[in-house]
Amino acid sequence: MAERARRIGRSAILLWRVLRANPLTLVGFVIVVLIAGTAVIMVSVPHLLTSYGVDQGTVDYHQSPSWHHLFGTDGNGLDIFSMVLYGLPVDLAIAFAIAGVALLGGGALGLIAGFWDRPGTAGGIASVVIMRITDIFLSFPSLILALAIAVSLGRGVWQLVVAVLLTWWPFYVRLVRGETLAVKHLPYVMAARAAGVTEGRIVLRHVVRNVLEPVIVYFTLDIGTVLVTLSTIGYVGLGVNYPTTPEWGSMISYYQGAGLITSYPWTVLGPGLAIFITVLAFSLLGDGLRDVLDPRSRRVLAGNAGRSSTSPAEQEEAAEEVQQEVLELPTNVPAAQEALS
Amino acid sequence: MTVPVVSVQNLSIDYVIGAGRFRAVSGVSLDVEPGHVVGVVGETGCGKSTLAQAIPRLLPEPPATIGEGRIIFQGIDLVQVPLWKMPRIRGTGINMIFQEPLNSLNPAYRIYDQVAEAIHIRRVRDKGNIVVDHRPAAPFDYSQRPKQDAGEALTRPIIPSGAAAQVARKATGRHGELRDEVLEYLRLVRINDPETILNLYPHELSGGMRQRVMIAMALSEKPTLLIADEPTSALDVTIQAQVLTLMKELIDEVNTSILFISHDLGVIAETADELGVMYAGKLVEFGPVAELFSAPRHPYTKALLGAAPTRYKSEGTLASIAGSVPNLSRPPTGCRFHPRCSIARPKCRVPPGPPLLAVEGASENHRSACYFPSEVAAIP
Repeated sequence: MAERARRIGRSAILLWRVLRANPLTLVGFVIVVLIAGTAVIMVSVPHLLTSYGVDQGTVDYHQSPSWHHLFGTDGNGLDIFSMVLYGLPVDLAIAFAIAGVALLGGGALGLIAGFWDRPGTAGGIASVVIMRITDIFLSFPSLILALAIAVSLGRGVWQLVVAVLLTWWPFYVRLVRGETLAVKHLPYVMAARAAGVTEGRIVLRHVVRNVLEPVIVYFTLDIGTVLVTLSTIGYVGLGVNYPTTPEWGSMISYYQGAGLITSYPWTVLGPGLAIFITVLAFSLLGDGLRDVLDPRSRRVLAGNAGRSSTSPAEQEEAAEEVQQEVLELPTNVPAAQEALS
Repeated sequence: MTVPVVSVQNLSIDYVIGAGRFRAVSGVSLDVEPGHVVGVVGETGCGKSTLAQAIPRLLPEPPATIGEGRIIFQGIDLVQVPLWKMPRIRGTGINMIFQEPLNSLNPAYRIYDQVAEAIHIRRVRDKGNIVVDHRPAAPFDYSQRPKQDAGEALTRPIIPSGAAAQVARKATGRHGELRDEVLEYLRLVRINDPETILNLYPHELSGGMRQRVMIAMALSEKPTLLIADEPTSALDVTIQAQVLTLMKELIDEVNTSILFISHDLGVIAETADELGVMYAGKLVEFGPVAELFSAPRHPYTKALLGAAPTRYKSEGTLASIAGSVPNLSRPPTGCRFHPRCSIARPKCRVPPGPPLLAVEGASENHRSACYFPSEVAAIP
């Protein structure tokens, strides 16, 4: 137990050092933590942050932003700031569901297609089938395809998830397959095989771990892309039903459709700002994640941070000590022999 | 006559690339006696690495295919074993050290995890279940190792039963006795301060250190046969000497059988008991190292020995063998060395060429694939 606590503590220190060495990542990390915290609060105890319920009107109509209504209100008296906050967990949940399922499903297919790709074997046939289906999906512009599917499925959260997901998984297949192809020819895979490790274990232990780095980074950056795509679909009016389900893209679409954008621009400014900040935060974090996940750069970063903690005075002292030792070394050979014997 | 650890019999390996097909190894026969170190030398592209990787069936098949021949290991023919069953033979039965120490360790795991995985595999195999308070006897006396039957090994499950796996998980604690055994093996390969090394990642070690860890991993599985595929080629000369010294010491300590592949005659001379010389996919000479070096019975061996640079001679150019290595998709007819051979006669050109036969007036196991082994000594 104590050992586990110590290890978590060490990881926390390491994380802090890596973040400190990379200020932009730190910014991304802090915003993502704030966003996640806000989302948790909005799901569990929303009244900590807002005094209005979802879709609960006030008596203030078309108010411009003020301390009372940070992002103003709309024609129905809805507080835009509250609605943006309510939209946060909805947007995050949809984005993570889409990117997560695409990562797991597409990633598994990519692993299979990449690792067992030898022509003439059962795996080779499976690989070809997977890749050709992936190619078919990739040959459509993904946004148009998602819109088409969204049209045929109708409005709603699940319909939105399915529509985007169907166009999203092929990118993960291609990414993971490419990485797998590169990793599986590296000598350590052959060495593991020579050591008697079974193929399944080689994939799960040796290949997956080394494919993980670029995939996790891509995933984090992808959260932002999914959010933008969601908003785009919502914007053309195919998203969810606002204001019953608060989702940022649909929110912008709703107010813009109501013709409020010219007279009351704050109605779209709030959700727009929310999308911008969230996407930016995940992008910044994703860029820096690579350094944390790769043992090589991780140690370098942590090492640099550690070294800078030695003060110049201490370094000077150490240098003098070494110099002293060198001076004390016997300079002629007989003396040296004597000292050694 | 002892039963050889591995007996390669008339082995031929083809590479099929597109419509083309060429024979990288043709009709090689080679025995490794228990406790012996057998060296295989040859120029780049002579098929020695292909041979080394074919024995534990590590060659990518396709494009490689085993055309004919047998690899008898502990009473079974490995050529006939389906590939998916081979992991049960690899590791504890036949293990391998590769020539790229820089990339042969997984960059994502600490040294501890990698050595522990190897030890874990051996324990699962050895017992069929896990004995928690197993203490390693290092150095391990390989002569005391119970002879394992490969046929029986094939019938054993790869993954232990659920209960055994659970015990195994408990035994893999960072402070458990598994850690002690990992340390034991790191000490065996003369790694300084193994407690620190345990927690390092491969990129934090030098090439020589990594190769030591690779050797520790291979030995920790206590293989019956260890194949070393140019284990020192990628290292610089001083580190090469260190690793080589280590291997020589370990050969005496662990008393295992080793197939040592190299293109460096010096390395072979220092380590091997018997030596096989390969040329263009064929084994042209095989015999005790000392005799092969002092009295080669094949013109190619003689030329190869003559081309080895000597240290204290600075005058003159480096000796080389006239001509170049033949294209294996269209090898010369008959003896493959005849276009470059100074004692070649019309007979040498006739297929199928000279067989590998015992040489008169030499040791019992000295064989040469030359029609005129007695004339080799006279070549300048």
